[in-house]
Amino acid sequence: MVKKRERLEIIKDILKVLQTNRKMKPTRLLYASNLSPQMFKDYISELQMKKFIKLEQDKKDKNFFLLTDKGHNFLQEYKVIANFIENFGL
Amino acid sequence: MDIYSFAIQNKEFLKIIYGLIIWLICVVIVFKTDKLFEISLHQGIKYLRNAFFFYGFAFFLRYIVGSYYFVDSIPGIYYSLINIIFAFFLAMAGFFLVYSLIWKKIEPYDDRALSSFLNARIMIFYFLSLIIAIMDYLWKTHNFLFISQIVIFFIATIISFSNFSHKARKQKFPKFYFIAMLVSLVIWIVNALASIYFNWDPGFVMNVYFLNVIVFLIFLYGVKSVTKKLNAVKN
Repeated sequence: MVKKRERLEIIKDILKVLQTNRKMKPTRLLYASNLSPQMFKDYISELQMKKFIKLEQDKKDKNFFLLTDKGHNFLQEYKVIANFIENFGL
Repeated sequence: MDIYSFAIQNKEFLKIIYGLIIWLICVVIVFKTDKLFEISLHQGIKYLRNAFFFYGFAFFLRYIVGSYYFVDSIPGIYYSLINIIFAFFLAMAGFFLVYSLIWKKIEPYDDRALSSFLNARIMIFYFLSLIIAIMDYLWKTHNFLFISQIVIFFIATIISFSNFSHKARKQKFPKFYFIAMLVSLVIWIVNALASIYFNWDPGFVMNVYFLNVIVFLIFLYGVKSVTKKLNAVKN
């Protein structure tokens, strides 16, 4: 059975995908995140609220997501926090 | 005068120092883990933080507010109340500590946004801790607290040993964490022995205090080393 991802892991995966692709359309990001549409919506709202990602429009008025500096910082902090969680067995 | 005699003669003063050290360690851990929780919103971190919040409160109340120097000015009923609250918070802290290790297996995925202080599962711990504190008070003993904590730390030791054996090659801290849990278990057993067989022999108790400070320092070391890395990442 495939192990369910932790909340923190899901956030990391979404941000990582954005970091690798630099900018992504919402639908592509939904597929890449491997989440249900409802869960994707919840996570995206949270990430936008925390200013980890931002939604922008290109010249053709198409929406796409971008990783912010705060999101970049979080990815660096994630490693340290994940290490803490693993060390304490939390 | 050797250190041992000095410690016994000044045991009431040293108790305050002991309570102050543990309380300070707990305050630092609570603030540092709060920062980690703020970033991650990880429930396990929250439960760990709650454990140290309760430990800090318990030690502050028992060893500082309820110290020998203040007790004379406090009516007996308040002193009894301090002991009941101390037992309650200590039991709760133990429950939170072990729960921080097993919460993933208990809490369903869809149900994790609940308050870490006031959810249905934690209510069971409040209820159990209250029963333990009241029974200890009614029977004029500490045995119910000792038994509960020995069981809790036995479970925590097994879980942390399992974590340590899986990660020992990669990291060194799980080894310390396992040792901290094991020493905590030993401390509770020794506490029970000191109460039942040694009538709270001051020399015996001083050694327990010393071991307890070491355990809390191990926890602090684990938290500090991570937050230091976090600061390095930010800078």
